[in-house]
Amino acid sequence: MDQDIFEITREPIDKAGLEQRLLTGAAGAIVTFDGVVRNQTKGRPVVSLQYEAYAPMAVKEMRRLGDEIRERWPEVDRIGIVHRFGELKISESSVVIVVTSPHRRVAFEACRFAIDRLKQTVPIWKKEIFEDGEVWVEGQLPD
Amino acid sequence: MKIKVLLFGSCREAVGSGEIDLELSDTAVAGDAWASTTQRFPSLGQFERSVLLAVNEEHASKETKLKDGDTVAIFPPVSGG
Repeated sequence: MDQDIFEITREPIDKAGLEQRLLTGAAGAIVTFDGVVRNQTKGRPVVSLQYEAYAPMAVKEMRRLGDEIRERWPEVDRIGIVHRFGELKISESSVVIVVTSPHRRVAFEACRFAIDRLKQTVPIWKKEIFEDGEVWVEGQLPD
Repeated sequence: MKIKVLLFGSCREAVGSGEIDLELSDTAVAGDAWASTTQRFPSLGQFERSVLLAVNEEHASKETKLKDGDTVAIFPPVSGG
């Protein structure tokens, strides 16, 4: 759909603005997933996360993900996926996914699907920065 | 043929560069770009079992055929979110 939104950005994500841009009168439910930077990994304090993206391909894969959602849940009204890159501090949003639909069930299911799938297919990588070192997070191989 | 190779994440760090140019035979497939890059940068060898490839911004396999001017991306399993 033309009015769906798929973006990669270095700037902080404007979650409320994204929701507003996607909200049409047809929606009765809006489900937003907000992925934020956690302060530890297995007990080891995290200072920040460094995200790297293959931006043009990432946007293509997000768009493909949007197509997949519409095939599975034709009732979905609007889809928005914004992923940030660069260095992110604790509690900053790395990814925001918004799905709107006339009724809540579809919006919940499609939003859950979107974040799970994004983690398998969209070419973005993150490195955990600790006080005494840094480690690339190992992604899962696609199914 | 001339191929542009892009590297991301830990693969980029292992090579020390995010972009290199290759000259490959006219019948080359994506796996040849991987093999040629690994030959030049043996530190990439550690990713042999997990590496993913893309050709012109689409997920690809080692068998994907290349043509002159294509861009091959080399990267570890994705870890966004």
